[in-house]
Amino acid sequence: MSKLRTTINNVDLKRFRFWLQIGFFALFVYGGYLAINLGNSLPTFSCAFNQDGRGGVCFLMPLQHLMGTRWSALFGWAGLGVLTAFLTFALWFIVLNKAWCGYACPLGTIQDWISSLRTRLGIRSGRYSKPQFRSLSTIKYVLLALTLLIPLGIGGGYLPHSLGTPFCDICPGRMILPLFTGDTSQLTIDFSSRTAMIMTALGMLITGLFFTGAFIKKRFFCFFCPMSALHYLFSKPALLNLRKEGDKCTRCGDCYRVCDMQIREIADDVETPRIMKDDCILCFKCVAACPEEGALKVTFLGRTVFEATEEGFNKRMNQGETCEQPEHQH
Amino acid sequence: MNSPNINTEPSAFQHTRQAREAEQTLDQITDRFDDNPKAMDYFYGLFRRIYCRGEALQREGTLVGTTCIHAPEELIYAVGAQPLRLCNGSYHFDQAGGDFMPAKSCSLVKATLGVLSTENAIPGGGRPELVVNPTTCDQKKKASAMVEEMGYNVYDLELPPGKESEEARLYWQRSVRDFSVRLSKLTGKKLTRSRLKAAMAKTARAQLAFRTLHNLRKNSPALFLGKDAFLVTNAYFFDDIDRWTEAVEQLNEELRAREASGYQAAQRKAPRILFTGSPPIFPNLKLPLLIEEAGGVVVADETCSANRMLYDMSAVDEWRLHDMVDALADRHLKTCTCPIFTNNLDRRRRLLELAESFNADGVVYQAFAGCQVYEMEQRSVAKTLSDKSIPMLYVETDYSPDDMGQLSTRIEAFLESIKTRKRKRS
Amino acid sequence: MSYYAGIDIGSTAIKVALVDESGQLTGTHVTASGSLFHKNAKEALGRLLTEHQIAADEVRYLIATGYGRKLFKEADDSISEITANAIGAHEAGKQFGGVRTIINIGGQDSKAIQIDADGHVANFAMNDKCAAGTGRFLDVAARNLEIDLEELGDYHFNADSAPLTINSTCTVFAESEIIGLLANGHGKGAIVAGIHYSIAKRTVRLAKRVGIEDRIYFDGGPALNRGLVSAIEDELQRELVVPEHPQTTTAYGAAMLARSEYLSEREGDA
Repeated sequence: MSKLRTTINNVDLKRFRFWLQIGFFALFVYGGYLAINLGNSLPTFSCAFNQDGRGGVCFLMPLQHLMGTRWSALFGWAGLGVLTAFLTFALWFIVLNKAWCGYACPLGTIQDWISSLRTRLGIRSGRYSKPQFRSLSTIKYVLLALTLLIPLGIGGGYLPHSLGTPFCDICPGRMILPLFTGDTSQLTIDFSSRTAMIMTALGMLITGLFFTGAFIKKRFFCFFCPMSALHYLFSKPALLNLRKEGDKCTRCGDCYRVCDMQIREIADDVETPRIMKDDCILCFKCVAACPEEGALKVTFLGRTVFEATEEGFNKRMNQGETCEQPEHQH
Repeated sequence: MNSPNINTEPSAFQHTRQAREAEQTLDQITDRFDDNPKAMDYFYGLFRRIYCRGEALQREGTLVGTTCIHAPEELIYAVGAQPLRLCNGSYHFDQAGGDFMPAKSCSLVKATLGVLSTENAIPGGGRPELVVNPTTCDQKKKASAMVEEMGYNVYDLELPPGKESEEARLYWQRSVRDFSVRLSKLTGKKLTRSRLKAAMAKTARAQLAFRTLHNLRKNSPALFLGKDAFLVTNAYFFDDIDRWTEAVEQLNEELRAREASGYQAAQRKAPRILFTGSPPIFPNLKLPLLIEEAGGVVVADETCSANRMLYDMSAVDEWRLHDMVDALADRHLKTCTCPIFTNNLDRRRRLLELAESFNADGVVYQAFAGCQVYEMEQRSVAKTLSDKSIPMLYVETDYSPDDMGQLSTRIEAFLESIKTRKRKRS
Repeated sequence: MSYYAGIDIGSTAIKVALVDESGQLTGTHVTASGSLFHKNAKEALGRLLTEHQIAADEVRYLIATGYGRKLFKEADDSISEITANAIGAHEAGKQFGGVRTIINIGGQDSKAIQIDADGHVANFAMNDKCAAGTGRFLDVAARNLEIDLEELGDYHFNADSAPLTINSTCTVFAESEIIGLLANGHGKGAIVAGIHYSIAKRTVRLAKRVGIEDRIYFDGGPALNRGLVSAIEDELQRELVVPEHPQTTTAYGAAMLARSEYLSEREGDA
């Protein structure tokens, strides 16, 4: 048992994550070809517009549809449908918590690929300043609110039906993910109505931003993702968790530096055991980069599954590097 | 490996005051204790060669002196130079340095100035081609100009006064980047990714060896005495890093064998002491020696001549030059628990953590008279520890040996009170 | 009969104390340390034994304390004077209803010790390496004023004016300050009182560092000086407990410890 534990704690997280992400990517982008269908309430961008390949449907799409139900129905029987959908979403979500972002989300994975391309080109990643970070991280809540309120407005008869899925219209996933199954049909501007035109043009723009942003900044899009905001609202009862034992922390900041989401609290907060913040994508890079025994740990149902160890740290940070012939010094 | 007491031709150096002072401390370290680990012979021999006989350091490459742990030595190695920590612990040089500093100033700064004003910054070391002076405490900051007047090239590595804010971190990262440019100019060697990676692997190996040693000291009863531990980390100041690492790895192996055989370096009930405050630097190992001669054992420390210098390691996300340099910068700022920074919460938390994980019975806090920041932090540290009922002895002292009698009384009384406290509990 | 001895080898005086099987104080002896303190210490112990007609082998256990404790190899064990003082004051303080704080002024240092109800050291503080506020300071002052140490108390209470202020805390500087005051025509009494208050202030500051709890026991040679006692009481705003022989409390503590060590060792053997 302790041997297994050591093996796990010594894991090369980078590689593990790389392959797991590919697995999830295949599942959500190509799973449909294997007749996999995980339902309509997935807490990740398994895009509905990727009609043949998708292995299930991203919950945001049915959510917008449901919210757009006529009010009389929504506040009656149909409400039950919304609740069931929510419940299914929540059940999926609480298993993996925000690791849906760090491991499963195809858009997240694509961003990581772009980042590693950038690293290969020797270009450094951009960082937000603190005030930028603070203001940017509220955007996702605004987007989430709009994603829910606009359809609600349609159901109440206040807004046109062409705005039925406002977030899908601007979501880069709608344009990008179908491309992986050879479907370029989403990569156009819809001239059928003014609203559609504006929204799809906006979508094009955001897709462009998605690529450039991800090239400049790690996980650029995730700061704005309304799905991430929705996740956070449900994260309290989640089974998979990130915990910190502040007493063991030396505040060296190793975790903060490797954090794609620039979450300062991971290094600086030594009071909160449940250290997962709203921007966190539960990628666990921080755990892998922590040299203090047990200071950061991944728990599932309260049991530690992976934790920071000195040995693991050394395996991950140093060993690979000494293999390279050090240059002669003189 | 050198045996500790090889008799060679006596040189003129051996009769200098600094050599005699070093010899006295070494004799105390080796002769007053039984059963010193065999692997310590490397270190005893090293100090005898360098400090008592003034032999050459045997290090190739441009010497870059540093006056504090904040200067990332990985960068120095990466441009093909050799770092040399200049912080000095000699009473002889403390007195010599008195010419430069006001009467009530820190022995360490005085001794460092004192030694720099002589021909050899380290016996057998020669003059460093560049002295890197991180702008830490006021005394070190102001010492910079004096070192320059002595004819050294001095580089002031600008450190922010606090380390909490993101601004401080970015400011420091920029400082370190500028420093790396200066270093490249010094040796004419470009800082490249592979060179830095190799340098980081070198220090990482040394740190790993240190950490292993550090963890072995958690053993109870103790496997290893603090006086030797300080000697080992003091050797890191000037020894070739690869030789040092190998010697520590060997020491670790011996200690593991000791552990397996149930050996004990101190009595089972010897009070376990956590050492904090102003750094013990050879030959000023006065306080650790007094503690261990009185039957205590120093099991861990929180000082910049040992733990703070070697413990914390850097993590890099993207192994590219910029990310690596920033990672080094972070490690040399964020982890530091030096009292020069605006608050000392990290230091207090670190002490509690060390006391807990090393099962320490008490803390000895050394403050060099004149080191205002350590003197000032005494109160808050004492409060933190007493809240957790960890006894602390605060000792204000300097490099002079004249308070030995008084200190030994205080230390013994402190150890005796720990023993009665333990007896009462059991 | 069995006896237990404690010997306190201080910088100015050697103090020996002897207790019997029941822990009753048999006798004490005080002599100057001199330069041959090892020889003097042995002689002091010998003299005390002869005085009470006790054979050397009747002394079952001997504990040395004080600055010279390590060099007195004849002892069975040694202990710091802080611990010994705590034990001695705890035992001697019982007749006063128990003491919790000890102020000790010795030849070259001054200490404040806080003890718990069992006589264990809870906290202590010592002066910095400097003779200010110690017995040495009184010595120097008395010599400058050309009066005997024993007379200091009388001068204190017979001062012709209010105590003068001695500003220098350093013994060397205080010396010239005292000479200056004399030259200005100030009375010796007021100067002596000033010196006492200067020492008292330092001592009280030291005591406050460890925390003051009732009752406060004052020992060490200078505790014989009534003037100093009164000055400290004034500064503390509390009364001090001063034993009859304040010099030998530490030696007495060492002797009491010798007794309990011996008894517990024998218990361990049995």
